[in-house]
Amino acid sequence: MSADTLIPEEPEAPTNRPPSMQRVRLWLQRPYARKVLILTVLIGFLLLPLAWLLLAGMNQTGAPASEIMKDIEQTVFVFTLVSIPITAFVFAVLVYSLIGWRQISGDEPPMQDSPAIRTNTIGVILWTVSSTLLAMFLVVWGLVELAQITANSYGTISADEQPGQKSSEIINVTGQQWVWTFEYPEHNGLTSDILYLPLDRPVYFNVTSKDVIHNFWAVELGVKIDANPGAITQTGVTANKLGTFNVRCAELCGMHHAYMQTQIQVLEQDAFDSWVRESGGKKTS
Amino acid sequence: MSVETAVETKTIFGSEVPQPPQHGAAGGVMRGLNFGTGLVGGIGLAAVAGWITAILTPSSASNASFAPMEPTYVYLAVLLGWVVGFMLGIGAFVGPLRWVVGRDVTHADAEYMAGKDLGRKRYWKYTTDHKVVGIQYLIVTMLLLGFAGLLAMLIRTELGMTWTSLFTPAFYNSMIGTHGIAMIIGMIVVVSGPLGNFIVPMMIGARDMAFPRLNALSLWLFVAAVPMLVSSMFMGGIQDGWSVYQPLASQAPVGMLGYQMTIIVFAISTAVASVNLMTTILTMRAKGMTWSRTPIFVYGIFAASIMGLYAFPFFQYSQILGLADRVFATSFFDPLNGGSVWLYENLFWLLGHPEVYVILIPSTAVALELMPVFLRKPLFSFNFAVAGIVGVVALSGLVWAHHMYMTGWAPAANYPFMLSTELISIPVGFLVLVAIGTFWRGTAWTRLPLMAVYAVIFNKMIGGVTGVYLSDVPADQYFHGSMFVVAHFHFMLMGAGLFGAMAGIAYFFPKMTGRFLDERTGSIGLWTAFVGFQITFISMFVAGLQGQPRRVLDFDDQFNLSNWISTIGAYVIGIGMLIFLSAIINSWRSGVIASSNPWGSKSLEWQTETPVPLENFPVLPVVTERPYNYGVPDPYEAELDSIDEDLTEKAGTK
Amino acid sequence: MSTSTFPVSPTTGEPISTIARRSRLGLWLVIVADIAGTIALVISYTYLWSLNVNGGWAPPGATLTANQTNSTLPTTPSTATFAVEWPFWGILLVLIVATALMWFGYRSARSGNHAGLIAGAGLSFLVTVAVLVFQWIQMSTFPFGAGDGAYASAVLLLCASNIFHLFLLLFIGMGIFMRARKGLIDKTNWYQAQLASYYMTWVCIAFLLGAILTTFLVESPNTDPAIFGTFKQQ
Repeated sequence: MSADTLIPEEPEAPTNRPPSMQRVRLWLQRPYARKVLILTVLIGFLLLPLAWLLLAGMNQTGAPASEIMKDIEQTVFVFTLVSIPITAFVFAVLVYSLIGWRQISGDEPPMQDSPAIRTNTIGVILWTVSSTLLAMFLVVWGLVELAQITANSYGTISADEQPGQKSSEIINVTGQQWVWTFEYPEHNGLTSDILYLPLDRPVYFNVTSKDVIHNFWAVELGVKIDANPGAITQTGVTANKLGTFNVRCAELCGMHHAYMQTQIQVLEQDAFDSWVRESGGKKTS
Repeated sequence: MSVETAVETKTIFGSEVPQPPQHGAAGGVMRGLNFGTGLVGGIGLAAVAGWITAILTPSSASNASFAPMEPTYVYLAVLLGWVVGFMLGIGAFVGPLRWVVGRDVTHADAEYMAGKDLGRKRYWKYTTDHKVVGIQYLIVTMLLLGFAGLLAMLIRTELGMTWTSLFTPAFYNSMIGTHGIAMIIGMIVVVSGPLGNFIVPMMIGARDMAFPRLNALSLWLFVAAVPMLVSSMFMGGIQDGWSVYQPLASQAPVGMLGYQMTIIVFAISTAVASVNLMTTILTMRAKGMTWSRTPIFVYGIFAASIMGLYAFPFFQYSQILGLADRVFATSFFDPLNGGSVWLYENLFWLLGHPEVYVILIPSTAVALELMPVFLRKPLFSFNFAVAGIVGVVALSGLVWAHHMYMTGWAPAANYPFMLSTELISIPVGFLVLVAIGTFWRGTAWTRLPLMAVYAVIFNKMIGGVTGVYLSDVPADQYFHGSMFVVAHFHFMLMGAGLFGAMAGIAYFFPKMTGRFLDERTGSIGLWTAFVGFQITFISMFVAGLQGQPRRVLDFDDQFNLSNWISTIGAYVIGIGMLIFLSAIINSWRSGVIASSNPWGSKSLEWQTETPVPLENFPVLPVVTERPYNYGVPDPYEAELDSIDEDLTEKAGTK
Repeated sequence: MSTSTFPVSPTTGEPISTIARRSRLGLWLVIVADIAGTIALVISYTYLWSLNVNGGWAPPGATLTANQTNSTLPTTPSTATFAVEWPFWGILLVLIVATALMWFGYRSARSGNHAGLIAGAGLSFLVTVAVLVFQWIQMSTFPFGAGDGAYASAVLLLCASNIFHLFLLLFIGMGIFMRARKGLIDKTNWYQAQLASYYMTWVCIAFLLGAILTTFLVESPNTDPAIFGTFKQQ
């Protein structure tokens, strides 16, 4: 800042300052207000590691193994981050109420009442606006991510590249008490009880059930859809990580629900082809 | 036409009221009826009905999958016989029959039925007094919650013993189903039943509920429903989780009938109770109690009643349809014959989500109700509290399909349901604002009821934030059906709901029993349970994040650690709850005697004497001011006002 | 019989008008719950109708449109077809007569015509009995049984709901009639007859909904059940 732009100090004209701003400034000078805000920041930083801890929990068995799972984890991460400030503020008020503002124990009601704050227009407006904005952010984020996941699942099939052509793979998933069966209709109806997936190629699932409702959950791929009797549900995924992952049933389906799980093997295209050949299926031409 | 006789009159609250002819002693046939005759009638009729059905059913009767139908028919007959016989035996049909034959209830009859001069016997009868009904609800609910809590301990024991298996898969599944539905029913009732009945009429300055006989009816239907639920444990159990998804439920043993009959009867009980509470609140508030002078707890109960009224019929019909599938071989949910599993899910969750708010709103409201008393300041922004409750009720019916994101029933519907579900965080946020605004600068009188509110708000924040993940379709794609969901809704229903109910019971205990809830034992119990609760369910969140599905008996080794910790936490909860229960029992028997208004509250229910007289108020009260009129003028506000004045003066002189 | 000009409830001493106001509100709320239940039935009917899961909506003997096949073994010989429509409307018509009679009784009570009240309530009761008989005859002569597909299930449940409502109406009608004869319903204390009329009117609407469903939503619009093995983009 150069010297010639300095304006000589004058008492500020009170009309230039809206009374509400004045109030906020005065409010910030109160000792408890500052302490609550400091406490909020402290608790916020204490909660911050949660954003990474949650993902660490989800990644224990090799996730994310697909774009979908990455989107899911990103959502969890962002939601954790945006909820921390408001959570920290509420916790700060709870804590400060216990350690900061006055306390009375004893058998008789306190003789001295607290200040009769029936409402506080600025506070209420701030809360409403910020919580609405937050909810709107969550909604918009959710809608965008959902559209993206839908696209990643089965929305990327362009008109000239219908499923059934080379680049994609169709798998019919059938749940029955208490096994999963994976049928590859493009390979002579080859069936398997382990889900073999080719790396980096879109796979589409037709999911159904022979008896009760099951839920096809490819954990590390972030794929989940119910297997309903009498209906076919569809989803899809592109696995982008080699390895062994888990399929679990995520809908109670009777006695041995807990054991209704199997493996996912994500294989290189060559290995996938040779598996198809060895199991008697037609080679992908 | 009846013969004209000299009309007798009776003095009621100072006015002469003509009476219908009195037949026999006051109370008539009700004098001989009580819980004992109810049991005799119920068990007797159940036995007779079961026996006759067994004789009439040809032994060759079987269903499409060649299973014999005889057990189904007999068990259904036994359950129907139990309900009808029990209600007959306890005298539920006396009132309607007297109405049909035109033998109206006299004032003396009504007083007998309200339990006047009956002493403790009135707790065992079809008593119409709302205070008796409230106590009866409290006892039955605690029994039910205790039963469900015991099952929870067994479930956690099984899950903690990862090296072996205590129970068969079938029995384990029936435990989780029964635990779930028993807890849900218990939690639905735990605030609206005891406190809604005992406190609300007094809080609004009424002498009783609008329909006292319906009040007794709703209670005793509830009492009739509970044994049916327990009995199903012995008939093969409810092996399908609390939501009993079809068509898994149609595979289940006959015990499923116990579930279905319980829900059908309980839904009637809830509808009756809701009609009664709503009518009472709408028409019987004291003179001068405008809506802005009505305490927030009354709003909470009213909101729960609205949701109970419109949502429970869907649940009831989902079970009637399931029962028809099972007994009459219809095909509502059987996909082979044109039935749809999604129909069941839709009907079920049309109840299922409002029901969550039926549990949460009353316990939140009771927390908000007691905070001003212990902080000695008014409820912060009463209008926002009301707006929050109204917002939740308005959105409650529009969010059910967020339980069905992953079912594939209508993928396009996920977008609007995600929108409506996430919007609900706004009105719920209002309620949190009201709570922290009331804490703001308050001098806390740290008695047990207020301390429980801290626990409630802490748990509600965690439950609320984790709920945001689940409301979001992409995140739900990972979390749906995992232990994460289980931990989330335990934080909401138990962490916020049950701890809120504990706060409410501790607060109203002196009015209900005339004694204080023992502060020391109660606090130890509460905080032990709270610590155990955090251990159990935070490690359950971890299990869910790792990818453990819910409702499993056995799991991969990677989940062992979080399950061990969770089980240890569960035992701590169990110990804490037992301590709290012992505090309730001991204080009820020999606690410190409380005055009629020990908390120094300004609301109406504390202005009557304790024990509360039969008619609550000898003279009906008139309300002249807003509720929560506590507090002294804010010193800071005075300061601000003077600054404002200074500023205006300066602006004026300039 | 109360001779007082200011009628009061014998049990609580409150004016009858207060009790009436309260009971009216209670009745409206009961009707709300009943509406919710009826909506559950309507949802069940329309949902199964629109989905036609496995082509199993229509009874096995019904004439089916081109692609519609019943993939399952019929549980009964395939004589089962859709129900005839006019009896639903016939039963509704008779019920409307019963309701009109109850309204007549109630209006008579308000205007002090006691004989009219008794006649209205009594006749309404008798006509309701007739409705119940008709409903029973219809239910027992349907060309299908409970196991004949989703349509049969949905229609039978609508009829069962009707029968349940009719039993309630019988109880109410009987009560109004007996009480009218005893003089407990009269020019000053008529609210119970009014509530009975209101409730009967709602039951007529419930019957009407059932008749509309069974008349206009018969053959399922979904004639193209999902085929396994191809992937349809959503």
